[in-house]
Amino acid sequence: MKVVFVRPERCVGCRQCELACAVAHSRSQTLAGAVFEPRSPQPRIHIGVGALGEPFPNRCRHCDPAPCQAACLPGALYREPKTGSLLLNPDRCIRCASCAMACPFGVIRFYDEPLQARIKVLAHKCDNCVTRRRHGQVPACVEACKAGALLFSELNQVLAAKTREVARSASFGPRAEAAGEPGAMTVLREFRARLVELGEAK
Amino acid sequence: MLTSDDIRNRTITEDGQRMLEKAEHDQVRTVWDRYQAQLPQCGFCELGLSCRNCAMGPCRIDPFGEGPQVGVCGADADIIVARNLGRMIAAGAASHSDHGRDLVEVLRQVAEGKAPGYQIREEGKLRALAAEFGISGDGRGKEAVALDLAEALEEEFGTRKKELTLVRRAPEQRRALWTKLGIMPRGIDRETSEMMHRTHMGVDNNWQSLLLHGLRNALSDGWGGSLIATEVSDILFGVPRPVHSKVNLGVLKTDQVNILLHGHNPIVSEMIAQAATDDDLVALAKAKGAAGINLAGICCTGNELLMRRGIPMAGNHLTTELALVTGAVEMMFVDYQCIMPALGQVAACYHTRMISTSDKAGFPRMEHHEFHPDNARELARKLVTEAIENYPRRVPGKVKIPVEPVDMMAGFSVEAIVAALGGTVQPLIDAIVAGKIRGAVGVVGCNNPKIRQDYGHVNLTRKLIAHDILVVDTGCAAVANARAGFKVAEAAALAGPGLREVCGALGIPPVLHMGSCVDNVRITMLAAALANALKMDISDLPLAAAAPEWYSEKAISIGCYAVASGIYTVLGPMPPVLGSKNVTQLLTEGLEKVVGATFAVEPDPDLAADLIIAHINRKRAGLGLS
Repeated sequence: MKVVFVRPERCVGCRQCELACAVAHSRSQTLAGAVFEPRSPQPRIHIGVGALGEPFPNRCRHCDPAPCQAACLPGALYREPKTGSLLLNPDRCIRCASCAMACPFGVIRFYDEPLQARIKVLAHKCDNCVTRRRHGQVPACVEACKAGALLFSELNQVLAAKTREVARSASFGPRAEAAGEPGAMTVLREFRARLVELGEAK
Repeated sequence: MLTSDDIRNRTITEDGQRMLEKAEHDQVRTVWDRYQAQLPQCGFCELGLSCRNCAMGPCRIDPFGEGPQVGVCGADADIIVARNLGRMIAAGAASHSDHGRDLVEVLRQVAEGKAPGYQIREEGKLRALAAEFGISGDGRGKEAVALDLAEALEEEFGTRKKELTLVRRAPEQRRALWTKLGIMPRGIDRETSEMMHRTHMGVDNNWQSLLLHGLRNALSDGWGGSLIATEVSDILFGVPRPVHSKVNLGVLKTDQVNILLHGHNPIVSEMIAQAATDDDLVALAKAKGAAGINLAGICCTGNELLMRRGIPMAGNHLTTELALVTGAVEMMFVDYQCIMPALGQVAACYHTRMISTSDKAGFPRMEHHEFHPDNARELARKLVTEAIENYPRRVPGKVKIPVEPVDMMAGFSVEAIVAALGGTVQPLIDAIVAGKIRGAVGVVGCNNPKIRQDYGHVNLTRKLIAHDILVVDTGCAAVANARAGFKVAEAAALAGPGLREVCGALGIPPVLHMGSCVDNVRITMLAAALANALKMDISDLPLAAAAPEWYSEKAISIGCYAVASGIYTVLGPMPPVLGSKNVTQLLTEGLEKVVGATFAVEPDPDLAADLIIAHINRKRAGLGLS
């Protein structure tokens, strides 16, 4: 079963995934159309910012068992077996926010859902792009990411690749890029971290 | 909710910290809040790896090497980074140069008698500059000379020349180098226009020649547009001479009508300054219950007024919103450049009226009153009257002037420095040779919310003067150093023994205020004068520049003309070039062999000072000095 695997060390903070997610959950399905829709579509993935200014793509993990599902009193959250995605039945959601309280990652927000006929603020979470995937497409956030921070793959395949990377970095030290030479994003990340440290009152 | 640590992390200035507390209380959002809301910023853009130059794109290059390595057109990281940097230089050079053109237009209208209120204040400088353009002044009135000079200066912007006239002020070796490299600036507008052409899809796709043209474009600013702006401002409004004044938000007065002047160009603000001293208007202010009319400058318009008229300085770039948070400003005039479009929103929280004045600069929530040379005097009177009438609308409970102002000196034009030295630069050369002054550094540039406000400027300057390095400064850096108390004669106590002795003998501070950011040319002209006196190139001298808190495209142009003129330049914030190893390497190392100077990037002012001290020591050793 394929999952979206996040590699935060690859995130450049461009927030293209947020835009693509909102468009994928819009009525028009285009960026130009989505920005003019009266019920504005919202992203389900969020780029947070770490203590040293580093970006962090924060996305629903579709946990199993899922704390949000366990906390959902009306039973609005359910598992879609084919993709393993944890989805929301909008008709059952009573906006009690119990799911958001239970979620350890803070990835559930509350918005009016433009794809629903009824105007109603309800829980708003990643649906793993189940609709796109029925048409053979990968999740929109993955498609948008040009830096390799979001991968769509079998979990164990990604982790096998990660094992190879870790093994290489054991040979070359913590900066394994290009056999020891830091890449541009590593230099920029370190520079950003220095700015944050310099900005802290002594 | 901001903690006291958050506030201290935003600015080292006491007035700024008090006003940030008040902004929090008044629920006013500022530049720092907006910066936080933007985080994380786009890494592609920060590395220079995104390109929006055409509609096959936008494109971006994956910095990790797995995703796309070329744009749709095939441009790789080197080309994209160089093109983006080139367009930043073009925007910066265009800004200074268009500012210069506006002054030339006023000069022409003064000569034609169409600019009531304006005059030629420095006939000597007018005639000297005219002579550089081969315009004879013999037996001719100043208006006739000014008309010819305006015509000649307009020609500098065009394309009919092989090289700009004022490059003749540069040392011969430097000019020969520019010619050899093919970077001699030809026309001010031409180089900017050519940069826009070269960076169009399918034109210059050689990153080296793009960057070389970037240097030429910057030189067209530093030895063209900016230089004309400064020279003509001096002719129209006076050559700055040493003057005492005060700085920080304490210059605003609780019992007076406060008018703030913000932006860069002195054309409008000089007229406001005249109107504010008008007896009738002062009497009106008193009739409205105020003790008088208090003008203060902010940003570089403020520097222009401070340098020539000693008008007090309220603050620099990141203080512009906080000045309004005092609740004590009746009216703020803005012209152009570095005026945050957020200001109108901040002013709306108070009684402050915001007036935009330039035909080329509009802002949300501001009232637009266009100033032109023919209407400026009358319009200034009318608006100052309205500012006075706004005084009774001030809400006393919302007013807070946070601190007492700090004393400062300004007005150190090249002419003023040479006069202080007794008429030649020789005493300065002697002091450098003797090692009393080990070198000189221009600390310049903006504020940037990525760096705690003034932290970079003040700490760099403090360390440099302690090491007997004379600091000359301009722009927002100059305001920071004044606010820190470095611009009084007594600040010589902070300097090393040699610099302290020289400052003591001349009665000057160890940090000399040379003006606004277009006035960075005063620094390069001083460097050129030293080099010419020694028959050396600028790159031989123990000089450096630093922009510890830069943010603007203008600063990129300034940095490039400084480096292309042979001055080692240390930047605080990172320019968007890291995405190309080749471009980064050329800027920080390769340029040494090309123009005899490079860039460095170091955000920690303590380490930046070490880089500069080491550079000055190397240059001194090269000259056989200890």
